[in-house]
Amino acid sequence: MGNSEYLLEVKNVSKVFPGVKALDNVSFDLKPGEVHILLGENGAGKSTLMKVIAGAYSPDGGELIIDGQPAANLNPRKAQDLGVGIIYQEFNLVPYMNVAENIFIDQLPVKHFFRIDHARMHREAKEILASLNMNVPTTAKTMDISTAQQQMVEVAKALTHKSRILIMDEPTASLTDREIDQLFLTIRELRAKGMGIIYISHRLQELKEIGDRVTVLRDGKYIGTRNLAEVTIESLVTMMVGREVGELYERVDVTPGEEVLHVEKLSSKAVGLHDVSMNLRRGEIVGLAGLVGSGRTELVRAIFGADRHDAGQVTIFGENMKGSAPKDSVRNRVGLLPEDRKRQGLALILSVAENTLMASLDKIFPGGLVNARKEKDLVDGYIKSLRIQTPSGSRSAQYLSGGNQQKVVLAKWLATESEIFIFDEPTRGIDVGAKREIYGFMNRLKQKNCAVLMISSELPEVIGMSDRIFVMREGSIVAEVPHDEATQEMIISYAMGADVAPARRSAADGARPLPKADA
Amino acid sequence: MKLLKTLSRIPNFLWINLAMIIIFAMISDRYMTVHNMINILQQGSVLLIVSAAMTMVILSEGLDLTLGAVMTMAGIVSVLALRAGWSVPMAVIFGILSGAFMGALTGTLVAIYKMPPFIATLGMQGVIYGFTLAFTNSAAIFTSNPDFIVLGSKIGNYIPVAAIFAAIIFVAVWAILHHTKFGRYTVAIGGNEAGTRLSGVNTTFWKWFVYVFAGIVSAIGGIILAARLEAADPIVGVGWEFDAIAATILGGTSFTKGKGDVSGTVLGVLLITVLRNGMNVVGTPTIWQPALTGTIIIFAIAFQVWMSMREDARR
Repeated sequence: MGNSEYLLEVKNVSKVFPGVKALDNVSFDLKPGEVHILLGENGAGKSTLMKVIAGAYSPDGGELIIDGQPAANLNPRKAQDLGVGIIYQEFNLVPYMNVAENIFIDQLPVKHFFRIDHARMHREAKEILASLNMNVPTTAKTMDISTAQQQMVEVAKALTHKSRILIMDEPTASLTDREIDQLFLTIRELRAKGMGIIYISHRLQELKEIGDRVTVLRDGKYIGTRNLAEVTIESLVTMMVGREVGELYERVDVTPGEEVLHVEKLSSKAVGLHDVSMNLRRGEIVGLAGLVGSGRTELVRAIFGADRHDAGQVTIFGENMKGSAPKDSVRNRVGLLPEDRKRQGLALILSVAENTLMASLDKIFPGGLVNARKEKDLVDGYIKSLRIQTPSGSRSAQYLSGGNQQKVVLAKWLATESEIFIFDEPTRGIDVGAKREIYGFMNRLKQKNCAVLMISSELPEVIGMSDRIFVMREGSIVAEVPHDEATQEMIISYAMGADVAPARRSAADGARPLPKADA
Repeated sequence: MKLLKTLSRIPNFLWINLAMIIIFAMISDRYMTVHNMINILQQGSVLLIVSAAMTMVILSEGLDLTLGAVMTMAGIVSVLALRAGWSVPMAVIFGILSGAFMGALTGTLVAIYKMPPFIATLGMQGVIYGFTLAFTNSAAIFTSNPDFIVLGSKIGNYIPVAAIFAAIIFVAVWAILHHTKFGRYTVAIGGNEAGTRLSGVNTTFWKWFVYVFAGIVSAIGGIILAARLEAADPIVGVGWEFDAIAATILGGTSFTKGKGDVSGTVLGVLLITVLRNGMNVVGTPTIWQPALTGTIIIFAIAFQVWMSMREDARR
């Protein structure tokens, strides 16, 4: 073990991919006992830098120094041995194995030469989890525990490798506020033990709460490192985007028109929805707030016909959608922009053009033959009007950034001439610049008298954009809040239930709490 | 143009082909003859037809182990129809319909009942071979109908009729993949079935239809094979599905991602055909041929998989 001041020094590292300079002369360092935040828009080079440090990519220039020792020719195994632990956004857990087995997956304790020592494995797993104040049963299968708990298991896994450097890629992306608090407690504990934590995040609100220092990257270049205590969030945003960002949410006023979507007492045992009633009118953006797991995604999937429901009625443009499948909803001018763009919104291997016209081939080419020229003209039109950053329509969708992928999904529904747009977490994993654009498109849809239903876990977003907000809890809608009365505290208290925040409930005078359905 | 571009992008094992041809040519002076080249063309044609069908199925992230059995059955159905006094066109159409029917059954199991393709098609393979054995009393049925046999013959002693059919089917499958809704949906289902369904595509129907299509195309291959052999043999199709899968994978089509193209499959077919033909011409003992060809094909697939993994890693 070296006696350097730094756990990790990255000096002038570059990494080139065909056609892109992903990292251009980037430097970064990490001290023991600090949380160093890596900030930047998507495509800024954060992930590449992270993978270089973890040994997944070898840099084309520059050097890495770990514990004062130059670390050349890293590979993932070697980086792990040098004390680098990494928790990717997508966890590497085996769903059918239990928590303890996952924690010790690559170093299962053995007795009598080959028998797995279950007693010792669970005992040690419990010790590690307890040392982090983590409350996860070691015998539970990882597929049965919550996302937050899965993340804890990943942290514990990293600790078994005696990691001193822990890289976390957007660890709060799929956690609820309460789970985030728990995670931050854990991170502070790790910091107190002298670990260095590299924390990648998009959420500006949480930077000051958890970070000590922050390094900003932009377009693969190093922009600067600051002490978080000494900077404002606004100045960081300016560093990130290289320009001033004004108010993120801009509201346009449109008088709502006819009702286009009506949901009456919708229930589903399979996905846990109880007597949900709601509606949506032309010219409005309706927000669907609630904690992760409160049934928001399940509700919109049921509306869209992606999952069956057992009771209740969905009416779209006056048509009863009983027993409908997604194809019926699409025919009826509804478009769903799913939260998981990569797995549900796009076929990543296909081109931008193919994805854009995926839902409208029937409409545009009724004969079933795809006319290449017409296709190109149409797609180029969308690339231009939505400002999709891609060299051409024939580029595979997997190479686009999150924001541009979202635009392709939006283009898909514009191509079908949809009039009801359902956005599920429209800006998750999207950088600030693209966020603004997405909000702009939502407002434009509103002005064109389309109807927008938006699920969002970001309270400023849901309040900033919505004309009305439905709050869900445990599969039911518990409140409908008009825009001008909505506050973050009010929505949180509805979302979490009166027993969680009884004091805040009284603040919600203006809103109409809906009686909770009898379960 | 796009076709040429795709072909030029897959030069990986063209040189393996060349090397094999040179080695075979050096061992036997009967190898580099017009007669043998026509033989290769003849032998490769039926495999290309079945492999084109298999490529469609694999692109949809499926697998169809019934294709060899469907070939067998289509040949038997056609020949039996001829012997029952049907005209050649009617007999051929009947054979093709039998392939479509079996494809429809397989597709129902996979697309509608959501059985894993491996199990569903392995089971159907057993069922179909069971029927072919029963229909033929497990003996080959011969035919000498000249209008039928012409399907397996050569025009002017040079160009195999099978090669013309293979070319037509190859171009058709290529065009389907690149210029039709059906092809687009096939690849999209392979790339992301859940997402494609959420785009409002009737994925169940199109997935089902892929198997119907594969059944039709392999039935054509089976009928041509029966015409060439002047007989319908109840086990003639055994192992063709393996060669078709091998040709598809060698051609760079991925088992899991909806990635690939039928133009690569042509190269896979060429490799397998050159290998099998060469073994024969240079006089490899018959009992050793399956072991040798199997080993070489497995190594070639390993090489192809390794190459495409390296390509993915570089991105």
